[in-house]
Amino acid sequence: MIRVASLARRDLLTLFVSPVAWTIAFVFLLVMGMTFHLSLLSVGGDLQQLVAAIYGGYVFWFMMLVLPPLISMRTLAEERRSGSLEMLVTTGISDAMVITAKWISTWCFFMFLWLCLLPLWALLSSVGQVDFGVLLSSYLGVALVGAGFCAAGILASSLTSHPLASAGFAMAINLVLFLVEWLRFLYQPGDLELRWIEHFSAVHHIGSELTRGIVDLRVPIWWVSFTILMLFIATKVLERRRW
Amino acid sequence: MIEVEKLSRSYGNRKALDSISFQVPAGSVTGFLGPNGAGKTTTLRVLTSWLLPDPGTEKLWVSGVDLLRQPQLACRKVGALLEQLPLPGELRVCEFLQSRAVLKGVSGNRISSEVERVLGEVDATESSRRGIGTLSQGYRQRIGLADALLGDPPVLLLDEPTRGLDPRQVALFRELIDRLRHQHTIILSSHVLGEVEQICDRVCMISEGQICLDEDREAWTRRLESSGTTRVEVVDGSKEVAAGLASLEGVCEVLTDGAGWILHADRDLRSAIGELARQRKWALSDLRTDRATLESLFLQLTGPGETS
Repeated sequence: MIRVASLARRDLLTLFVSPVAWTIAFVFLLVMGMTFHLSLLSVGGDLQQLVAAIYGGYVFWFMMLVLPPLISMRTLAEERRSGSLEMLVTTGISDAMVITAKWISTWCFFMFLWLCLLPLWALLSSVGQVDFGVLLSSYLGVALVGAGFCAAGILASSLTSHPLASAGFAMAINLVLFLVEWLRFLYQPGDLELRWIEHFSAVHHIGSELTRGIVDLRVPIWWVSFTILMLFIATKVLERRRW
Repeated sequence: MIEVEKLSRSYGNRKALDSISFQVPAGSVTGFLGPNGAGKTTTLRVLTSWLLPDPGTEKLWVSGVDLLRQPQLACRKVGALLEQLPLPGELRVCEFLQSRAVLKGVSGNRISSEVERVLGEVDATESSRRGIGTLSQGYRQRIGLADALLGDPPVLLLDEPTRGLDPRQVALFRELIDRLRHQHTIILSSHVLGEVEQICDRVCMISEGQICLDEDREAWTRRLESSGTTRVEVVDGSKEVAAGLASLEGVCEVLTDGAGWILHADRDLRSAIGELARQRKWALSDLRTDRATLESLFLQLTGPGETS
């Protein structure tokens, strides 16, 4: 565990000193700041509605779909290309540990970006009533869906040595989980099909449940399972290079 | 000690290593030679557990640990300085080595002293606080070697350690390896044959995935001495000279280039030729021996072509 923490810490440090990461952070904060402002105007200053407006809007989903692939695209792809993955493996660290550490650093940076928005909420709470319970459950949604999307990014990064190809593949996986929600508009699904759609739909989990303060245990279980599955496949892909 | 028996490794249908066997005695420095694509790096990658060998490999032991059954434990016994040395330029030397020490399982309270120790071993203590991105190639190689020494592994695998270094840095690096030979079993993969000849106790040549020479210094020196050529020029030489030279003990072949004779023999023939010339009253105008070198042996054993 110490080895995983050490590797994750080093990767996080590497992320924090990389210009790409800071560019992503700058664009993210700029866009989300503007979204905050426009959403506040659109809900007429009603802070209760603001949480759902921000953590369920198009800009939010754009960020959710794009950020994890961009942050994770270099983790394994670049390391494999530069040879540092080989150097890493010569320490005797297992492939599962490498994958876990990469995922932790990616997810931590992803959460760091979203947590940077918290001061805005603190500022708003001084002038109005912010429902911190709903805000907390919304952040739980960001953390869970982000964990799954970051894991998909790690898997994509393990498959190729080209960062851009990795980002594209990860976005495709995330897009599938995002577009599941649209199936309900494409045809008239039956009750059972609808339940399946809701079970897999990231949009439903966040937009219809967590941003309304509803925490259904099935949602965390689904996203934790999805994350573990992605990381497990990524580990197997990494092991394959030895064959 | 490293023991390898019938090690094979394929990339698709191409066999990079074809059932090779060799042993590296404990405390020795073994030069691993071969043309590009011969299988040197593949062998080292198997020994660092980066690649799995093909099924059928009978034995792969590193310092008493079965690499096939306990690859992670075997990794702890091996320190590797890889041909590609992708050091993170954004970290300081001490930060990098500390994080590597943790990954190599060095216990928390020993990390600082271990980093100091390895930096001392490679004469780079003063660079501890410097950013890796600012280091010269020579220092980067030293930091790579310091990394390989973390955890005091009994086996060191050095893949082209002097690549890209200037002659002064090469000499310093050689001194370093010379210092380390007493505490570690070292495999040195290199294209610089002079370097191998100077440093190594043993030479292992590999060509097209097969071992074509595996000898200790004494055996390969004997082989070099016996593979030399002697050139003889005699004033007014005739066929009688060729027959006389061919009759000498140890002569394998007598060739002529028009001006003189070239003898391939398994020993130094100069005194015998001098004696023969005195007996037969030949006037020698030239008598010299060209000792075979590791380079000529390498070219002879590994063939002329470059493998893909």
